[in-house]
Amino acid sequence: MKRIANGYKGERVSRERFELAIIYVLRFAGILFFVAIVVFPFYWMIVSSLKSLDELLMRPANLALDIRKINFRAYYEVLFEHGFQRYIFNSVYVSVATLVLSVVLATLGGYAVTRIYFRGQSFMSYSILIIYMFPAIVLVIPLYVAFSRLGLRDSIHVLIVVYLAQTIPVALYMLRSYFKTIPPEMEYAGLVDGCSRLGVIWRIVIPISAPALASVAVYTFMIAWNEFLFAFMFLDTPEKFTLSRGVVQIAESVHLSKQLVMAASVVATLPIMILFLFFERYLVKGLTAGAMKG
Amino acid sequence: MASLTLKGLTKRFGRTTALSCVNLHVKDGEFCVLLGPSGCGKSTLLNIVAGLLPQDEGTVLLDSQPVDSLSPRDRDVAMVFQSYALYPHMTVAENLSFGLRMRGVPKATIRERVLETARLLGIEDLLEQKPSRLSGGEQQRVAMGRALVRRPRLFLLDEPLSNLDARLRDSVRLELKRLHRQIQGTIVYVTHDQVEAMTLGDKVVVMCDGKVHQVGSPETIYSQPVDTFVASFIGSPEMNLYKGRLIRKDGCPHFVGSGFSLKIEGVQLDLDGCEVEVGIRPEDIRIGQGVSVALQVKVEMTSYVGSEKYMHGRLGQESVTVRVPREADFRAGDIAPLSINPDRVHIFHEGRRI
Repeated sequence: MKRIANGYKGERVSRERFELAIIYVLRFAGILFFVAIVVFPFYWMIVSSLKSLDELLMRPANLALDIRKINFRAYYEVLFEHGFQRYIFNSVYVSVATLVLSVVLATLGGYAVTRIYFRGQSFMSYSILIIYMFPAIVLVIPLYVAFSRLGLRDSIHVLIVVYLAQTIPVALYMLRSYFKTIPPEMEYAGLVDGCSRLGVIWRIVIPISAPALASVAVYTFMIAWNEFLFAFMFLDTPEKFTLSRGVVQIAESVHLSKQLVMAASVVATLPIMILFLFFERYLVKGLTAGAMKG
Repeated sequence: MASLTLKGLTKRFGRTTALSCVNLHVKDGEFCVLLGPSGCGKSTLLNIVAGLLPQDEGTVLLDSQPVDSLSPRDRDVAMVFQSYALYPHMTVAENLSFGLRMRGVPKATIRERVLETARLLGIEDLLEQKPSRLSGGEQQRVAMGRALVRRPRLFLLDEPLSNLDARLRDSVRLELKRLHRQIQGTIVYVTHDQVEAMTLGDKVVVMCDGKVHQVGSPETIYSQPVDTFVASFIGSPEMNLYKGRLIRKDGCPHFVGSGFSLKIEGVQLDLDGCEVEVGIRPEDIRIGQGVSVALQVKVEMTSYVGSEKYMHGRLGQESVTVRVPREADFRAGDIAPLSINPDRVHIFHEGRRI
C-alpha cells in the first residue's frame, strides 16, 4: 500500500517537472521570437540612420555599427533641410488636439451613457463600437470625395475631425466600462454635498478615473500620431504634413537615401516610444480595470 | 433642523410601483425609522426626499415648504449611505470638508467644524488618512461625520450599520442614539433590522411593497400591530398566528381554530361567524394552568438563546412558539398545559386589527 502511494507520488512529481520544463522552454522561445520580430527592425532602423550613405551603399548587409563612424548627418538633414521641424509641430498639434477633444468628449459621452437615462440610451451604449465594422479604407474614399467637394480636404483640422471619429468610440467604450465600476452612491453623495452634475464629474468621477483617463489619453495620442492613411490621402501641401506623411515624402523622393528615411522614422517613432514606456503602467491598469466588472 | 412632511408620494419604475401614496410627518428633532423587508421602497423614499430621484406624484415638504423643484444641493439635507460612499481620492479631512467647501464656507470655519466633528466622533487621528486605509467602523464614522459637519436641516441614513459586524453594530447603535440626543437633529433612518428600529426610533414606520402599514412608537408597533404583516414582521421569534372562525357560544364570542378554541372578550358581535386570525406573542403564553384558557401542547423542541428560552410545539394541527422560564426542562414528546392571557390576544379580520 505504502509503495503504491510512493510510486504514485513520484510519478506525479516527475510529470509536474516535465510540464514545467516544457512551459519554460516554450515561454523562452516565444519571448525570443517576439523580441526578434519587434526589436530587430527597430535596431536596423537606428543603426542605419547613424551610418553615412557611402557605408550603406558599400556594405548594405552589415548589421553592426562602428562606434567610431557614427554619423548624425542624416538627422541634421531631416530636421533642417527636409522640413521635419514643421512636421513634428504638425504631428504634435494634431495629436494633442485629438487627445484633448477625444478625452473631453468621451468623458462626457461615457458618463452620459452610463448614468443619465434617455431614450435610446442602451442602444447608444452598445452601438458605440459599430464604426469599427467599417475598415478605414472603406471610409477614406467617400470622405476624400466629400471633403474635396467641400473644399476642406487639405487641412489638418479636418484630419483632427477624422481622428476624433476614429478614437472616440474606443475611448468612450473604455471610459464607459470604467465609470460603471464607480458606485452611484459616490455620486449621490457628491450631489447631496452640494455639487452640480458637472461638479460631480469634475470633482469625483474624473479624479477616481485618473488611470482610465491616462490610458485613453495615451491611446488617442498614439492613434493620431501614427495615423498614415488619412494623412496621406488628405494632405497635399508639404507645410501641412504630419510626421508619418513626411517619412513617406522622403522615401518617395527622387534620390532615395536610406539613412534619411531611417532617421526620419526614428524621429517619428521615438516620442511615441518614450511616451508609451512612461505611461505603460497606467495603460495596462486602465485597459483592464473596466474589464473586471464591465 | 426641520420637520419633514410627505404627501401622497408615489413612485413607479416601469410597471412596478415602488411607493404608493405615502403620507408621513416627521417632527423637528425626531428620530424616525423606516422599517421593512428589502425591496419595500424605503431606500427609494429616502432618495426622493434627498432629491436624487424624482417622484411621480406627491409632495415633499421641509418645514412646510415644498422642496420638489429644488436640487439635492439646495435641499440642504445630508445622507449617509450603506456603502458609506466615501470619496476614495480624498483624505478623511477632505471628505469631511467637501460639503462645506462646495457651499463656499470660509476656510477658518471649515477647519474649526471639521475638528469639532472629528472630536465628537473620535476620529481626530485619522484626518490625514485615505478611506481605503480605515477599518469598517472607522469608515462608518467618517461617513457619519461627513453628514454631521454640514449641520443640515435633515439627516437621511440608509442602513448605515448593515456593513458592520454584529458586535460593532451594537456599540455604534448606542452611540448613534447618544449622538442624536446631543445634536437634536431630525433623522430619517432606513433599516430592515427590527432591533435597530425598536431601539433607535422615536417613531417607527413599517413599510411593505411601497405602502406604509403602520406609523407609531416602538411600543405601539409591538403591542398593537395594525395588521397581520406588522404583527408577523415585528418580534422575534415571530408572533403565533392562527386562522379560524368567530363563533358565539353562551353569549360570548369564541375563536375556533383547527385544534383549539379560545374565549374572546371585547369583540364586536357583528363579526359572528367571520373568518379571522388571532395572534399571540410567544411571551403572552404561559406554561401551566392559568386563569382562563387552558390548552395542551405537544413539545417538539426547545431553543435556548442565552437570556431567553423558547419551546416549539404543536397545538392541535398548528405549531406554536412559547417563551418558557430558562430553567424549564422539556423533552420532545412531552405534553404540557398552556394558558393564554385573553387580554393579550390580537385579532385580525381580513388582515386588519379589530
